[in-house]
Amino acid sequence: MSQQDLADRVGVTRQTIIAIEKDKYSPSLEVAFKISEVFEVDLACVFSYS
Amino acid sequence: MDVSFKAKSLVVSLILTLAIFGWYLVAVFSSFPLDQEPPSFVSLLVLVVWFAVFESLIHGLLAIKHPSQREDERDKLIERLAQSYAYWFLCGCLFFVMGNIVMASWLGLSSSHLVLNLVGTPNGIFHLLLLCFVSAEVVNFVTQLYHHRVSL
Repeated sequence: MSQQDLADRVGVTRQTIIAIEKDKYSPSLEVAFKISEVFEVDLACVFSYS
Repeated sequence: MDVSFKAKSLVVSLILTLAIFGWYLVAVFSSFPLDQEPPSFVSLLVLVVWFAVFESLIHGLLAIKHPSQREDERDKLIERLAQSYAYWFLCGCLFFVMGNIVMASWLGLSSSHLVLNLVGTPNGIFHLLLLCFVSAEVVNFVTQLYHHRVSL
């Protein structure tokens, strides 16, 4: 899955996905849950807090 | 380098603001000291119309090239943050102008100081305030561009 595909499925821009991947932006809970739903995993598998 | 529609839009707005209003303000302040007559609102209105026309045209062309772009939560967050910075910058500029008006009128200070001479006329005050608003817009655009490219 490309960044653009993930962005389209989640409803954000590709630049937002890039910022999330680079740990430069923390998405809202809604976006975080949507991302985990796309990958069909739990939220904790995608995001962690440190 | 992948540049988003939002970043391109901000660059266009920044360039147009600096080119149109920057050119106008440089032309006005280069004629210092400003005359006592009220500013010509017609020329400024023409500038605003040209600004709107160019903005609409260029943003329309950008939208054609980026048909599916939308503003998401990160864009809105950056916009709110930049507007906050621009608001405080504008407040600072306005207090600066107000302070100079007080110094010029209440305290009776007069000198060859640029700002004190400018606030001595309605024309000068008008264009100083316009400079404040344009500068705040530039701060807004630059802050958004910075956060779009570097952080957040």
